[in-house]
Amino acid sequence: MNAVTLSVHVSDIERLFREHNRALIAFLQCRLNSLSDAQEVAQEAYLRMLTMDDREQVDSLRGYLFKVAGNLAIDRLRKRKVRSDFAAVQSQDEPMDEYRPDHHAMAVEQVAGVRQALSELPAKTSQAFVMHVIEGRDFSHVAQTMKLSERMVRYHVANALARCRAYVDGKEGP
Amino acid sequence: MRFNEQQDPVLRAAADWWVRLRAAGADGEVIEQWLAWTGEDERNLQAFERMNELAERLGTLDKVSRQGLIRAFVRFAPTPVPALRRWFPLAAAASIAAVVLSGALYIGWTHFAADVATQVVYQSGVAQNREFSLPDGTKVALGAASRLSVKYSNAQRSVEVSDGEAYFEVVHDNQRPFVVTVGNMTVRDIGTAFDVRRTGGRVTIAVTQGRVAIADQRLQARPHNTLEAIAGQRVSYDPDASRLLVDIEAPAQATAWRHNRLEFIDEPLGVVIANLNRYAGRPVRVADADLNALTYTGTIRTDAIDDWVGALPQVFPLRVSKEANGVVLSDPKHAFR
Repeated sequence: MNAVTLSVHVSDIERLFREHNRALIAFLQCRLNSLSDAQEVAQEAYLRMLTMDDREQVDSLRGYLFKVAGNLAIDRLRKRKVRSDFAAVQSQDEPMDEYRPDHHAMAVEQVAGVRQALSELPAKTSQAFVMHVIEGRDFSHVAQTMKLSERMVRYHVANALARCRAYVDGKEGP
Repeated sequence: MRFNEQQDPVLRAAADWWVRLRAAGADGEVIEQWLAWTGEDERNLQAFERMNELAERLGTLDKVSRQGLIRAFVRFAPTPVPALRRWFPLAAAASIAAVVLSGALYIGWTHFAADVATQVVYQSGVAQNREFSLPDGTKVALGAASRLSVKYSNAQRSVEVSDGEAYFEVVHDNQRPFVVTVGNMTVRDIGTAFDVRRTGGRVTIAVTQGRVAIADQRLQARPHNTLEAIAGQRVSYDPDASRLLVDIEAPAQATAWRHNRLEFIDEPLGVVIANLNRYAGRPVRVADADLNALTYTGTIRTDAIDDWVGALPQVFPLRVSKEANGVVLSDPKHAFR
């Protein structure tokens, strides 16, 4: 495919937004595990597209938007990691904040369905899922800990995610 | 919904895409393929968004729920330690002088000749935590209503926790191992601070620093029955299941009792109550055995035990009644008792 030099106009960005914003937000939420962060990063990505002054060689404006957004997401994850390492050091001596059983009841209710779903899955499947989704470990860390390939870890996580979603939907109504 | 039902293919595809997009190597090509998939059918992107929603909800759980799930599903592979056989044969039986002190601390210490050990018993009263040092400089914090016997010989420093909870900061000595017996378990320090708790036959060992080697005394003939635990890990022995479970616990949490907080994650109510009674002015009794199986996660302040007990019916299907000799928890299903 021939690369063409595109001059980016506001109207192009508007069209990108109209046609692909929902997918962009979904993509970013998947990467960042936070809808509000996804929305912020998407805003920033559009802004980058508008202020792009070197008229970069791009064969697809959409591809370029997702690339810019993906890179911004990686930056944000990096900053978040520094913050959470710092917070972990700060909060080491802090007590847990639930002092009475009733403070705890809502969380128990929320988690109960997922716990039930996970307990019906093979142990490796639920462990990989909990380590990745709940503990926030990346696939390579989970693979190392569990002595599995990353591909197997991804398989287990996807399997558990689909099962938990189905289980929670069954309880909450679709 | 049960899992033996047919899996929804859209849901499964959405979950597969969700992990694929999060993988480190997901490049522009993968994103293009994903965009093509979302363009095929509007239900695809919808299903994908629902994966995001659930994953975000689970990734931002409160600390207690999060730890509860991690504990329940994340297993650490026990590492067998084959080189530890030598520490099992104990030194020949020594003449033992038992000194029992109740509610007070033994201050002095008697040195005996080689191969002669003296046994000293430390015991704390209800609602009294104690802190003291052993002759080798090892620091001990003893929980309330707990009992600790110490027997030092030239070959080994042996300590037994026969009731309750204790935390040790061990001065390491290769020539003279520090070994704690608690229920059926033996814990040997490898340069360490750790907490042990015994509730009847149930034992938990939480390592806050360094490493320990843990063994089931009854299985000592086989070296693979020893496992090593490192800082941040907790090993529990459940007599009913008769197995060791290794999971994680933050060091600050393991010793929260030293700061008047009892912290429990997924422990049977019976165990929670037994430990709470070590601090309770008014003992709590569980009248119906089926209540013991309920599991509790949370913190109890030892200066607010009555409030905690009073709030129990809000989370558990049980009834709290005050009686002359204490508080009774009963199952409302067993009425007219």
